[in-house]
Amino acid sequence: MRAGPATTALLISDSMSKDEFILRTEGLYKAYRMGATKVSVLKGINLAVRKGEFLAIVGASGSGKSTLLHILGALDRPDKGVVRFEGRDLSRLGAGELNRFRNKMVGFVFQFYHLLDELTVLENVFLPAMVSKGVVGWLACRRLAKRRARELLVQLDLDERAGHKPYQLSGGERQRVAIGRALMNEPRLLLADEPTGNLDSATGNAILNVFGELNRAGQTIVMVTHDERIAQIAGRIITLADGKIS
Amino acid sequence: MYKIILSFRYLFKKRISYLAFLAVALCVFIVVVVMTVMTGLVTDFKQKNHSFVGDCVVGTESLVGFTYYEDFIRILDKEDFVESVSPVIKSYALISRVGSERSYGVEIMGIDAVRHSGATGFGKTLHHRKDDVSKAFEPVYDLEKIGCVLGIDLTLERDAKSRYLYEASPAEIAYSVSCFPLTAKGALAKAAAGLVNTKTFYYSDTSHSGLARVDGSTVYLPFDQAQLLCGMAGPFKRVSWLHIKFKPDIKLEAGCEKITSLWQRFAQERKAELLDRVTVQSWKDYRRELIAGVEKEQTMLIVMFALVGITTVFIVFVVFYMIISHKSKDIGILKSVGVSNGNIVTLFSGFAFLVGVLGSAIGAVGGWRFLVHINQIEDWLFEHFKFQLWDRTIYAIGDIPNAIDLKVLAGIILSAIVVCLIGALLPSWQAARSKPVETLQVSQL
Repeated sequence: MRAGPATTALLISDSMSKDEFILRTEGLYKAYRMGATKVSVLKGINLAVRKGEFLAIVGASGSGKSTLLHILGALDRPDKGVVRFEGRDLSRLGAGELNRFRNKMVGFVFQFYHLLDELTVLENVFLPAMVSKGVVGWLACRRLAKRRARELLVQLDLDERAGHKPYQLSGGERQRVAIGRALMNEPRLLLADEPTGNLDSATGNAILNVFGELNRAGQTIVMVTHDERIAQIAGRIITLADGKIS
Repeated sequence: MYKIILSFRYLFKKRISYLAFLAVALCVFIVVVVMTVMTGLVTDFKQKNHSFVGDCVVGTESLVGFTYYEDFIRILDKEDFVESVSPVIKSYALISRVGSERSYGVEIMGIDAVRHSGATGFGKTLHHRKDDVSKAFEPVYDLEKIGCVLGIDLTLERDAKSRYLYEASPAEIAYSVSCFPLTAKGALAKAAAGLVNTKTFYYSDTSHSGLARVDGSTVYLPFDQAQLLCGMAGPFKRVSWLHIKFKPDIKLEAGCEKITSLWQRFAQERKAELLDRVTVQSWKDYRRELIAGVEKEQTMLIVMFALVGITTVFIVFVVFYMIISHKSKDIGILKSVGVSNGNIVTLFSGFAFLVGVLGSAIGAVGGWRFLVHINQIEDWLFEHFKFQLWDRTIYAIGDIPNAIDLKVLAGIILSAIVVCLIGALLPSWQAARSKPVETLQVSQL
C-alpha cells in the first residue's frame, strides 16, 4: 500500500474524544442455544482498547473470538454486560443509531471478504457512503465519495481494478477491496475477523502489512486470529480461552 | 441510491430473476388475452341486443297485444327526447317453402322497415337492401310481390370455415306462413273456420343480427300483413310492442322513467282492459334473461382470475423466497455497513416492483401482438388441424374480439405489480429481520 502524509490526513480522525480508551467491555456474557443445549461462548469478558492501538485477540476455533468481535461492532448483542464505545453504552442505542454506528464509526473486514458480487470494485468501496445518504444526498456528494474511493484504491494498489467485479479478483485483491470499504467513512475503529484466514501466506503477509501501515497512521484496529504468528504484528495480544481472557 | 443500483443488478444479472418476471409475463399475457376476448364477446353480445331492441320497449308478452298504440305513438312523437318509435307485431307461425311438405315453427315480427330501422339497428342487419331499407319487403326479382326477410340461419349455408355463403341476389323462393289469429280476449279468432290464417310471402332479404336465436328463428313480415295474419287488425287494432329510440344525449334510465310516467298517465286515461298487461322496460331489462347469463360468465371468469391471481402471488412468493434466500450473504454485508431493516425491505420491494413492471410489459406486449393476429392464428389452426375456438355453426360469433381496453390493461398491469409486491413482502421482511452474524458466519458459506 502506498502511504504518505495524505494517507495520514485521510485516516486519522480529527475529532478525538478526551477518553484514551475508544472501546471498553464490562462483564460480557454470550451463549447460544444448540438444540436443547445452551453453549456459553463468552463468560465475563472485560476488555479495554486504546485509541490508535492495534490489538490482536488470539484463540482456538470455538473460543468465542469472532463472537466477541461481532459484539464489539454491534453486529450482535451480549446476553449480559456492557460495551462502551467512546463512553457510550451500545445497548442503549436505538436501531437507527446502531445502523449509523456501523456505518460511520466501525469498519469490518471479514475472513471471506463479503463483497457484493453485483457491484464493481469501486462501488463496493463507496457502498458505506451511499448507504448513509438518500438519493438526493448521494447525487450531491457522489463526486466527493468517488474521489475518496479512488484514492483508497490507489493506496491499496487497486486503482486499475476499479471497474472489475469481485469474481475477477484474486483473494488478496478482494480482501484489499474489503479493507477499502471498511475505511471509506473514516471509521474510528477497524475490526478484522481472521483477515488472512482465506489467503496464502504471501498474500496474507501483504494484508498484514496494510494493517500495520494503517495502524502507524493512527487507525485503531482490533484483529481476531487463531494464528499466534499473525498476531505478532499487533501491538498487544490477548488470548481467549474457554470464553475468558487468559 | 444503492437500492436502485442493486435492484437493477439483481434483475438483470441473476438468472433466477428471469423466472420471476417470466412468471409474471405469462400470467399477464393470459389475463390480457382472455379478458379481452371475453369482455369483447360480452360487449359485442350486449351491443347486438341493444341494436336489436332499441333503447326502450313498451308492450306485452301476451300474444293478444294491446290497443290504442297509435294514440300513444302520437304522444311519443311529440316528445323531444324520443327520436323514433316502431310498432311491432310479435307472434309465432308455421313456415314452409311452397312446394315442400316440411314446415317448421318460427317467430314472426311484423314491422314497418323504415320506422323499425329508425328505432333499432334492423337496417344494418340486411344484406341486399342495406342501402334502401324502404324496399326491404320488395323482392328484386318481382317488386310487386310481398316480401319477407328471414334470419340468416334460416336461409344461407356456411362454408368449411363457417362463413356464410351470400348470394349476389335473393333466390326466388315463396314461403307459406300460417298463423293462429287471436281475439282481444285471447280466444282463437277462427275457431269455427279452419283456425289458421295463411299467406304466401316471397324471400326478399336476409337479416344478420348476430344473435343466434334471432337469426335462426325470426321471419320479418310487413307490419300490416302480420297484423292481419295474427288477427290484430280490425276496428281496435292491436300491436305487441313499441320499440323506442331516445335522442343521443338522453340517459337510458331517465328516458325509461319518462316513458313509464307517460304510459301510466295514458293507461289511466284510457282504462282499457288490455293496457294493464303492458310494461315499460329498458333494453337491458327486456333482454335480461339472455344478458344475465353472459354477465354471470364474465363475473365467474373474474372470480376465477382472482383465484389465478392468488396462485400467482404464491408462485411469485416462492420465486422471491428462493431469490432472497440466495441473497442472505448480501443482506448480512449491507447490515454490517449500516443498512436498516426498513431499507432491506425497500431494496427487495424495489426489486419486486421492477420484476412486476418488466414482467407486465412483456406480458402486455405479447398479449397485444397475439390478439392482433388471433384471427389469423385461428384460421391457420382451422386450415391445418380443423380447430376453431368457437364452432361458428353453434355460436353466433364472427371474428374473435381483439380490441384491448386500455383501462382494463392498466388494471391488469397494476394488479401484476401489486401481486409482485405482496409476493415479495414476507420474504423481504424475514430477510430484513435476520441477524447479520447468522448470515455472515463462515459456516453459512
